[in-house]
Amino acid sequence: MRAVLVLALNSWVENLRNRFFALALTFAGVVLYLSMLLGLLACDQEVRVLLDFGLGFIELMGLVGAVYGASTVVLREMESKTVYMILTRPVGRTSYLLGRYLGLMLSVGAAMLIMAGAHLLILLLKGWAFRPDYLLALAGAFLKVLVTGSLALFLALSTTSSLSALSITMILWSLGHFLPEIRLMVRRFGNDSILIMAPLQALSWVIPDLQLFNLRDKLDLPVGMTASIPLGSWLAYGAGYCAVWLLLSSVLFKRKEF
Amino acid sequence: MGEGGAVLSFEKATKSYVSSHLGRTRTSRGVCELDLSVRRGEVFGLLGLNGSGKTTTFKLALGLLSPSSGAVRVLGLPPRDPGALASLGFLPELPCFPGFMTPAEILRFYGGLSGIPAAELPGRVAKVIERVGLAASAGRRMGEFSKGMVQRVGLAQAILHDPALIILDEPVSGLDPLAIKDFRDLLQELNSRGKTILVSSHSISELEKICHRVGILKDGRLGRLLEAKDWARGGLEEHFIETVAGGAA
Repeated sequence: MRAVLVLALNSWVENLRNRFFALALTFAGVVLYLSMLLGLLACDQEVRVLLDFGLGFIELMGLVGAVYGASTVVLREMESKTVYMILTRPVGRTSYLLGRYLGLMLSVGAAMLIMAGAHLLILLLKGWAFRPDYLLALAGAFLKVLVTGSLALFLALSTTSSLSALSITMILWSLGHFLPEIRLMVRRFGNDSILIMAPLQALSWVIPDLQLFNLRDKLDLPVGMTASIPLGSWLAYGAGYCAVWLLLSSVLFKRKEF
Repeated sequence: MGEGGAVLSFEKATKSYVSSHLGRTRTSRGVCELDLSVRRGEVFGLLGLNGSGKTTTFKLALGLLSPSSGAVRVLGLPPRDPGALASLGFLPELPCFPGFMTPAEILRFYGGLSGIPAAELPGRVAKVIERVGLAASAGRRMGEFSKGMVQRVGLAQAILHDPALIILDEPVSGLDPLAIKDFRDLLQELNSRGKTILVSSHSISELEKICHRVGILKDGRLGRLLEAKDWARGGLEEHFIETVAGGAA
């Protein structure tokens, strides 16, 4: 457990000093400014546009950081052979992966919090009445990032190519937002076109339903409506997917020869 | 500890690499039926041409590779056993460290991974920095370091946790003559304190100066095993050329 913490802390420090946060903050500044401009154009819907655009952007930035980080972190350490100096110590391979993953997600989470702070400030200045649901929407975005990051890590280890891992993750991430539609298609046409629908059916079992975490869509509901979300099963669903991808990554990494 | 005082032993260890491309499978051999023991307290050198199996031998000892057949033991344990890993230190060829970190930060990181108690860590780090001659540069960032200084940090992380066996892959590669001498002195000092050292190098003269025994690898096999007295007269280079050019394997 100590090794996991040491590795996570090291990743955090590395990201902190490696322009990760500076880049996140710069982009945050630019896009929040753009969302203000768009808000102005939206006339009476300014706050609504600001809210949607800002939350969407925070999620996208978190996603880019997590997917890029997870696709490159282990492969980069393998290429530079830094991993040799870690794995030739009493550090389990699962601990190594978990430490690197947690450190990366800690950095991404912190960057998302910083961006959310700036976003909230602008919203409040524009007269938006704060709703705790905002934090729930932010948590949903972070859960999505966690799940997608663990998938990217698994793909990076199975394909051993950052570019492939990045591309496949982004495809699966997009499909994850259309899972209800995919399931509907499978239900409607599954019996008639078994061969065509079989891959889609298999995919629907593998990819997570990311639309489930899209709570920002529900922010226009009356206050308290989002409280009906079953938070426990929602968290369990996200954690379950992360655990499965991390477990599979660990199995691959344990068999890896350097 | 292993049989007969061996800190590290290879028993008929073979490592084959299998690669496939477009359905065609190719097998190449890293090492073949390697029988070798590194005794406690000795400096053992590994010589060989590129592709002779030195790196494979090291990786088998470090648990980065598993033998296809045969066995490898570090202090009587499988190399990936936490007990074995805790008692070895490794310096890879051309170690790489983040340029924005200081040697002290890097060593705290590796010390933490080696299981050194948090309370002991600052003292240990300061001591090892002093020992490798980096006390004056401890606060500088790695990005400002010369190759020789990076290599010292590499050695520092390998000896920080006081391992019984130190494995060094081409430790003097690319260093200037003064840095090589400093490095040699450091290794001799470590050995005089009872550390077992396994070192590979293309510099025959360096191995001649520090090793008690040298193994010459040829085509993945142990071509010749020599003791210091064997090269006392003719020199190690002669044995090396004879082995790799001739039919000694």
